[in-house]
Amino acid sequence: MAEFGVVTRALLAIARDGVDDRGLAMRICRACVDGLGVDGAAISLLTASVGRQTLAATDETADLLEDLQFTLNEGPCMQAARTGHPVSVADLQHSSEVAHWPMFAAAVIERSPVRAVFALPLQWGAVNLGVVDLYRREPGALNDEQWRDAITTADTAALLMLGLRTEPDEGQGDWLDPTVAHRAEIHQAAGMVSVQLDISTAEALARMRAHAFVHNRLLIQVAHDIVARRLVFTQDME
Amino acid sequence: MSRADSGRLHSDREELISRAFVTLADTLVDEYDVIELLNRLADFAVQLLPADAAGIVLGDARRELRAVAASDEAAHVMELLQLQSDQGPCLDCFQSAAPVQVADLAHAADRWPTFAAAVSQRGNFRSVHALPLRLRGRAIGALNLFRAVPGPLPEADLALGQALAEVATIGILQERAIHRGEVVNEQLQLALNSRLIIEQAKGVLAQYGGLGPAAAFDSLRHYARSHNVKLAELARRVVAKDFDLTEILAPGQAPHPPQ
Repeated sequence: MAEFGVVTRALLAIARDGVDDRGLAMRICRACVDGLGVDGAAISLLTASVGRQTLAATDETADLLEDLQFTLNEGPCMQAARTGHPVSVADLQHSSEVAHWPMFAAAVIERSPVRAVFALPLQWGAVNLGVVDLYRREPGALNDEQWRDAITTADTAALLMLGLRTEPDEGQGDWLDPTVAHRAEIHQAAGMVSVQLDISTAEALARMRAHAFVHNRLLIQVAHDIVARRLVFTQDME
Repeated sequence: MSRADSGRLHSDREELISRAFVTLADTLVDEYDVIELLNRLADFAVQLLPADAAGIVLGDARRELRAVAASDEAAHVMELLQLQSDQGPCLDCFQSAAPVQVADLAHAADRWPTFAAAVSQRGNFRSVHALPLRLRGRAIGALNLFRAVPGPLPEADLALGQALAEVATIGILQERAIHRGEVVNEQLQLALNSRLIIEQAKGVLAQYGGLGPAAAFDSLRHYARSHNVKLAELARRVVAKDFDLTEILAPGQAPHPPQ
């Protein structure tokens, strides 16, 4: 029943062969360029803890877009990260959206051939995993199908990145099934564990996944036990 | 019942209906909170219609349904049962973009065996009425009404329920943006992620205050309402521990039943 677009399918086919954060980000970017009709893509982290860094960029122009945003401290990528809302600017020279980041828009037009930009936040609830930036040299919006694919891609990419960061040992378990990763109990449990151990919700998820892995249980079962207070995480747990 | 009584009841109901729509219209101002709007809609559905519980499900960009708002935990559980068993009236309603009425769930085993079995095991509802949230002939979600007794929903109530569903659609998509197809998926994804932020915040508050998730949600919602802040924004700050949680959990903040 689920309708997966071409890029989402490509992402799900990415084999988990020991790829790291940057390697995974690059594969996601390449899948976007191959499947979404854009000229380049980049993924950047914008979190307070990790600071700003570009994990992957498919070419120098994509890299330049990230640099400009960090230098000018404004742009579609930051807007997407701040609001949790995707940004789509089909024509940088004719869009009211650029009023949010006038310096960035002017710099891009002056220093690069980029004429359309799209930014999609990578998020899991309140966890911000970065932003996918896409660009086109010719003005033009993504069509409805491409945009839908881009949004599901961002969702899947966020799960892949979070999965990698919270990897218990090997294998994704049931993690990459969106109907599991979006279950309310898992989010509630992550919130509870984040208070039990005074850590972030992303770290809490990592602890929950590790616990599920060690005890050979499903993540959702562990989450149920946490919410029902049958399982409480303590500092000195395994 | 005397005619005077029935006349008074009638006007009470009309007053309640107009109050519901005025409140919903008030919610549709700039920067409004979609999840809060949907929660209010679920509450109004229970107050205005012969329903014991109500819930709203939305399809994500993959057209997978997800539960986003409910009048209470029982409605939420009913929706999860359907999503988990991948069958049930709200899925059929979503796929057909047409209302699905189940006057007696005891006779639903042929159509949805897994769901019917799970419902009868719980034993709290006997009938379900699923109304589509429609946009251009396609459903983006469904408003589900659950009743403890079997029986059809009167025509007038169905129409009112459908009107509430239309308000939900407008609320999710924002009226002015409704003609751009891309916005639909964008808005849905935003609403769905807001729901996840709220779930994480419920966990934080539940652990911090020693509450159940439902009571944690009530506190969060009450604080957001009485301080006029967006529920999702407050939830984001709670998860980031960028907020004094005792303020939300303070005795003065004890949740009151919705008006």
